[in-house]
Amino acid sequence: MPVFKTPFNGYSVKFSPFYESRIAVATAQNFGILGNGRLHVLDLNPAGPITEHIAFDTADGVYDVSWSESHDSLLVAAIADGSVKLYDLALPPTSNPIRSFHEHTREVHSADYNPVRRDSFLTSSWDDTSKLWTLDRPTSVRTFKEHAYCVYSSVWNPRHGDVFASASGDCTVRIWDVREPGSTMIIPAHDFEVLSCDWNKYDDCCIATASVDKSIRVWDVRSYRTPVSVLNGHGYAVRKVKFSPHRQGLLASCSYDMTVCLWDYMLEDALVGRYDHHTEFAVGIDMSVLVEGLLASTGWDELVYVWQHGTDPRAP
Amino acid sequence: MAMRDLVTGGADCAAPGSSSSNPLGALANALIGSSSKTQERLREIPTSQLTGPERPFAPETHGQLPGSEFDHPPLQPNQQASNFLNAFHSAADPGLASAWNEVQAGPPPAHLREMQPSLAEFDRIYDQVPASQHQPILDGPPQRVLSNFLHSFVESSRGGVPFHPTPLPLLGLSEGDKQCIRDRSSIMARHFFADKSEDFINAQLNALLSSLDIDTSKQVGGPQPGRFREMEDYWNESQALQRPGGHVADGWASEYSLNREKFADHDAWAQSFEQQYGANGWASEFEQERFQLGSAQKMAGGNMMNLSAMEQTRKLANTLAENNDPKFQNSKFLQFVSKMSRGELIIDDNQVKPNSLSPTDNWASEYQQQYSGGLPWADEFVSNQTNRWADEFAEEKQNVSDDPWVNEFSKLHMQDWVEEFGQQVGEGVSGEADNWANAYDEFVNEQVAAKGKMDASKGIYVFSDMNPYVGHPNPLKEGQDLFRKGLLSEAVLALEAEVMKNPENSEGWRLLGIAHAENDDDQQAIAAMKRALDVDPTNLEVLLALGVSHTNELEQAAALRYLYGWLQHHPKYGTLAKPELADSLYYADVAGLFNEAAQMFPDDADVHIVLGVLYNLSREFDKAIASFQTALKLKPQDYSLWNKLGATQANSIQSADAILAYQQALDLKPNYVRAWANMGISYANQGLYEESIKYYVRSLSMNPKADNAWQYLRISLSCASRNDMLEACDSRNLDALQKEFPL
Repeated sequence: MPVFKTPFNGYSVKFSPFYESRIAVATAQNFGILGNGRLHVLDLNPAGPITEHIAFDTADGVYDVSWSESHDSLLVAAIADGSVKLYDLALPPTSNPIRSFHEHTREVHSADYNPVRRDSFLTSSWDDTSKLWTLDRPTSVRTFKEHAYCVYSSVWNPRHGDVFASASGDCTVRIWDVREPGSTMIIPAHDFEVLSCDWNKYDDCCIATASVDKSIRVWDVRSYRTPVSVLNGHGYAVRKVKFSPHRQGLLASCSYDMTVCLWDYMLEDALVGRYDHHTEFAVGIDMSVLVEGLLASTGWDELVYVWQHGTDPRAP
Repeated sequence: MAMRDLVTGGADCAAPGSSSSNPLGALANALIGSSSKTQERLREIPTSQLTGPERPFAPETHGQLPGSEFDHPPLQPNQQASNFLNAFHSAADPGLASAWNEVQAGPPPAHLREMQPSLAEFDRIYDQVPASQHQPILDGPPQRVLSNFLHSFVESSRGGVPFHPTPLPLLGLSEGDKQCIRDRSSIMARHFFADKSEDFINAQLNALLSSLDIDTSKQVGGPQPGRFREMEDYWNESQALQRPGGHVADGWASEYSLNREKFADHDAWAQSFEQQYGANGWASEFEQERFQLGSAQKMAGGNMMNLSAMEQTRKLANTLAENNDPKFQNSKFLQFVSKMSRGELIIDDNQVKPNSLSPTDNWASEYQQQYSGGLPWADEFVSNQTNRWADEFAEEKQNVSDDPWVNEFSKLHMQDWVEEFGQQVGEGVSGEADNWANAYDEFVNEQVAAKGKMDASKGIYVFSDMNPYVGHPNPLKEGQDLFRKGLLSEAVLALEAEVMKNPENSEGWRLLGIAHAENDDDQQAIAAMKRALDVDPTNLEVLLALGVSHTNELEQAAALRYLYGWLQHHPKYGTLAKPELADSLYYADVAGLFNEAAQMFPDDADVHIVLGVLYNLSREFDKAIASFQTALKLKPQDYSLWNKLGATQANSIQSADAILAYQQALDLKPNYVRAWANMGISYANQGLYEESIKYYVRSLSMNPKADNAWQYLRISLSCASRNDMLEACDSRNLDALQKEFPL
């Protein structure tokens, strides 16, 4: 499958929930340590190279991007300068971004659109908070501040539009119900920073967490004293973890060990695939909702790969 | 220096209220803000509408925002659920729809915005994004140095190789940039170096930050120092907080106490570790790092968990033991490195020697020994560490082993670096930083060239590497403001952001060209002007500016072509231009045409300006001076014209007169960098070196990037026998220079 070269270091890649051939890629210069950012929207062509549909430049690195679940042309970008920006692909670059929210006081590290309610989205930031936003408001609806260190990701529960989980460098994962004043659950998930978490799409009590301790752990939030499963195999911190939209046990992960791994936590031999195609830290991974088995990854080698599970991402 | 000085503002030559047929005047007005036309120009800029008096966004509009009464956290716990739901409901009603309509339609026209106070309110917020939100400018030598440096830092994480503190050329990082680098690299390093000790992480970070001359004392710690305290908080919280009907798991408290026990155990273990290895465990830790490297394969197998658990314990132990100890923030490694960067440690004859450092500082001396003394540290490192590591790395990661990085890294950092460093040390301390910077630059250049990124061939506009104005809501206006304030380097960046956004904006390109011209970069000015001309092939201002810039570059043919083009497209003089001439332009013909034009309209200052430029081309300075003086009678307020006159006078060896002309220019535009520098040149030409120094320093304080001016300053310092200040000049220490040479 084809490859796309981005000018900056890749940070995140997401498949469009509306078009099977469209992906968004968040990138940042100098590994996101200092410099500009660029948000790419790419089109996959059946027999040909990946082409750029549009790109938006930002003053600081783009750490994450999330497609709107309600409008096919709308994107939310998490920017390192603490801003959250909304982009509309239907409008020319001069009219974008259509919104820019400045509330987070530190780098915004993740954005996640609500897949159930479809009218709101979450961001999480190195200012230790997560925030809930809607399109029509100039300020956030709520701020969730309990974590004691950077919040690296917050993701909506795929079934319950009011529930989300947040993963933090304070080594915990918290489960929140936006109707409740505080977090409803604190899972001391790892002994090291937790960099990512995701909900199982088929079991709304099951989450996976990824940590600097190189492991991925799968939890049942109803009894989280011990993990359901511990997935070892990455050689460095696991940067992102993502459950398959198609198979209950399947999840994908990417790591600072430069590999992308596929796991089935229900199997004895959980590691079902390892892809070694990146030459720098692999930091972005996504699985297509519309095409089963289609994977996308990006990394600090400035490359975006899209491939079908089981094939070689680098095959021409 | 001579012809180049003509550019001075390129084409913007105008007096307030000059005739509307003079597009240059319009521009100058827009930029200088000296006439009513300014207001017209600025009002065309979209966001400036927001300041219009007819738009009443009072703060109270906020109250009309649907559901806004629920907006601000912290919400009262008991209201919260319903508030949230209400908020969602109200959002679903008109709010989202209208917001979406607006989204689809683009920014609404002003009248529409007035009808929608909530959106107007929002837009106000949006448009008011203050400039300070953007990171300050990277205003210094090549940003690719920084880029490559950060790269090697990130790469050092792969092998766990200690990262070398490295003297870098001055990068001109602003405080904001430094904070960014400090904070982000602190957080990221804790991800990369997950199984390294806290000391190792701090050492790596300190090496990075010190090399970039970043104050490490403000470095943010990792999550660890606060972790235990936080656990306490959780504990108290979970004890104190009664959550009626909440989903709190009952088992959490017990879970937590289990953890506490675990931590307590670790504490004990840590103490035994300390006993074993001594309190000052850096050396032993280092040994352990090496051990870990050696056993990397084993780690990948099964021992990883054990090792990481050990590391984790040690971290916690450190945290507990060192919470009140400044060790983390001020590790000895940091002290060493920052002392070196401050010059308190000097490198002499391949040895690191303390300048005023007490030798009892055991760690530093230990390090020195390792570094340069009995142990050929670098060699040892190369032989023991790199090769082994590289081999291992190759074994372990066959797919990656052909990555040129392995070779490159070992070559660069282990051998070249050492050799180079040794050489430079041999060449003496004073020139060291520069030499190194050059060498580094060379290396970087090679690298960049190898990557094929060096396409900066002539005539192609080269954008800045990092641009904080990208994504700015209105970079053109920002650029115009900055230009008006005389902040040319920043204006260039803002305007680059504008033309990246709107490549078809000829005004953006033109102004960018002029900014470059005033900033003494005629190549970039020409490239930008050409882009402007692509968009608008008959723009008179652009044609004239191109003519002037090519004159500065001594490219007569090109200059003639554009000046002829100016004549051709001018509504008044177009008839004079004979089409058959265009194919073979000769200086005499063009000059003749302009003389004709000057006779037709003797009151048009522009024609006289072009004539002055043409006479500069033919080096007929007396005639050029006469032309400029005629033009100045018509436009006495044009600062760039005064500068042109001054430069021409200086060329014709009338430096004393030139100073008067420059003074006029500076009276009109006090932050006219180029005129300050030219002033210095004129004084130097008259042998008044002491005097010239002040002017150079003043111009450099406004634009430290002007390499020419630094060279002139150096010459003047030598000629004035001020060798004592040469070092300040070489290190570009403006503070010292300004103190020594006040104007």
